[in-house]
Amino acid sequence: MALFRLIGTGGVIAYRALFNWTTPSMFIGSLLVGPIFQLLFFAYLGRQLGVADDRFYIVGNAVLAASLSCVFGGTMAVANERRFGTLGHVLLSPRSRTAVFLGRVLPYAGNGLLIAASTLTVGALLLGLRVPVRALPGLLLALAVAALACGFFGLTLGALGLRFRDVWVVSNVSVALLLLLTGVNVPAAGLPGWMRAVGEALPITHAARGARQLAAGEGLAAAAPALAAEAAVGLGYALLAAALLKIFEAESRRRASLDAL
Amino acid sequence: MSGYAIEAVGLRRTYRSRTGWLRPQRREVEAVRGVDLTVGNGELFGLLGPNGAGKTTTIKLLNTLLIPTAGTARVCGHDVVTQTREVRRRIGYVFGGDRGLYDRLSARDNLRYFAELYGVPAREQKRRIAELLDLVRLTGREQERVEGYSRGMRQRLHIARGLLHRPRVLFLDEPSIGVDPVAARELRRTVADLAATGTTVLLTTHYMAEADELCDRIAVIANGTIQALGTPAELRHHADGRQVLEVEAYGVADAQLAAIHALPGVREASVTVTGATQVLTVQSDAGVDVQAAVLRELDGVRLGRVTARQPTLEDAYVAIVNRINAPTRPLEAVGG
Ligand SMILES: Nc1ncnc2c1ncn2[C@@H]1O[C@H](COP(=O)(O)OP(=O)(O)O)[C@@H](O)[C@H]1O
Ligand SMILES: [Mg+2]
Repeated sequence: MALFRLIGTGGVIAYRALFNWTTPSMFIGSLLVGPIFQLLFFAYLGRQLGVADDRFYIVGNAVLAASLSCVFGGTMAVANERRFGTLGHVLLSPRSRTAVFLGRVLPYAGNGLLIAASTLTVGALLLGLRVPVRALPGLLLALAVAALACGFFGLTLGALGLRFRDVWVVSNVSVALLLLLTGVNVPAAGLPGWMRAVGEALPITHAARGARQLAAGEGLAAAAPALAAEAAVGLGYALLAAALLKIFEAESRRRASLDAL
Repeated sequence: MSGYAIEAVGLRRTYRSRTGWLRPQRREVEAVRGVDLTVGNGELFGLLGPNGAGKTTTIKLLNTLLIPTAGTARVCGHDVVTQTREVRRRIGYVFGGDRGLYDRLSARDNLRYFAELYGVPAREQKRRIAELLDLVRLTGREQERVEGYSRGMRQRLHIARGLLHRPRVLFLDEPSIGVDPVAARELRRTVADLAATGTTVLLTTHYMAEADELCDRIAVIANGTIQALGTPAELRHHADGRQVLEVEAYGVADAQLAAIHALPGVREASVTVTGATQVLTVQSDAGVDVQAAVLRELDGVRLGRVTARQPTLEDAYVAIVNRINAPTRPLEAVGG
């Protein structure tokens, strides 16, 4: 019970404390409107070049939209602690690090889900994509799994922030990599083998594939393997993040690398 | 298990840092070089020393944020390296300065978050937070975002945070730094009240007067080692057998100060500046009258008032800290 409070209540307070885009204008501008323009950009480009149909871009970019708040949120969850000088006080907590930082992921993931769902809705309405109603629950599930996987991916980046000062570089590069490697805008078949291999280990890739199957009316059973793969990727990042947090915290005590106190 | 709140034996900490990227240069700083301390339960203990003496490092070794390069320490009987969770449950940590709070949150939400982190049971949180807001006189302002807080208010909120989980040992690292005199006095009263209710307090400061007023015992630390340890009254004896000459002056040169320092019988010589005036303070052996010689060295400098007086605790502190320029001696506990 106490643990749930730490994860739930603690996570929400930390979100308000550390996330830079919580004001309405920032939230709407950066997170809701931005992804829609990106979606339109790629959809029209796709029509011009005749690479793939609207569904490919609309669904793909909607799933990708979940990543923005997660990647930057996860980074902020640690990097902003440095900015406020609070990291030492957090590390002095006797409670489970995993719970403390897990709690921080959930609001970002929820945020990502909201953005992805709104991007999908607006994109489909603007471009006239018809999605079968019975596919909606499955799509929501796909977006949720993607958002959670992205949240843990973001936390992994955040954990790097314990060790490296310039972690923003990493998150900026990551966002570009997600755009390129997840097969959201460039069909995976068009990528060199090694890029495809990297893409398989990133969040979004599998969820986007599954979501496209669902939107095409293939049914949940057909999309299940893709969604399971996305969940596995997410779990992998969760474990990686927890391990990195532990290692870097121990290292900070040895090497005084958190001197921003 | 011993009855001490804090015990440190032979604590050392070396910082290794690398600067430069193309041609990296290694730098080693021995910040703490063999500190032995015991602080009793409920004691208010002061760690007094100049900037860079190793005060903050010592505190971070004791509060589990850093691992000692050598030596061991226990807090409430628990090892600070291996039993971090046990130690952290029992300690609070407050340091001076503007940072260390979530600016976007209100004072109350800052406290709510750290109440979670520090394991204050859910049903007690509300009452405990209200109690602490009251203690640090932030009641009525608790809904405001911390970014609008003054330095003194932030400092009081830091203290409230440090006390959330009723720690048995409180580490206060230069709590009054940059706080105005009135706020500093209130802060000292709060600290004294805490100690009176049984909390052990380890306080660092570079203000002699603060340590003198508050502390049961004081360790003077310089260059990473403890130079003297005792009650304020005991420390005063370090200036025994000395007298002090104070000269107001306008434009004493470094060379002149060095010459005065070299005069026979002179132990310390330093200049402090207040406005346009310099105050030259000379400590000398009590039996030697250095006034004439000092004034001769100051030939050509415009002078103000000249006073001879008995040494204060401040002079004792200067004497202790400056002793590290002389060959190192073993730790002296000065008998009263
Ligand atoms: N993270 C660090 N890396 C390298 N050197 C450090 C670090 N922190 C402190 N130091 C050095 O260690 C010495 C002692 O510092 P500190 O413990 O902060 O002293 P104080 O608190 O008494 O002013 C100083 O010379 C300081 O420059
Ligand atoms: Mg310090």
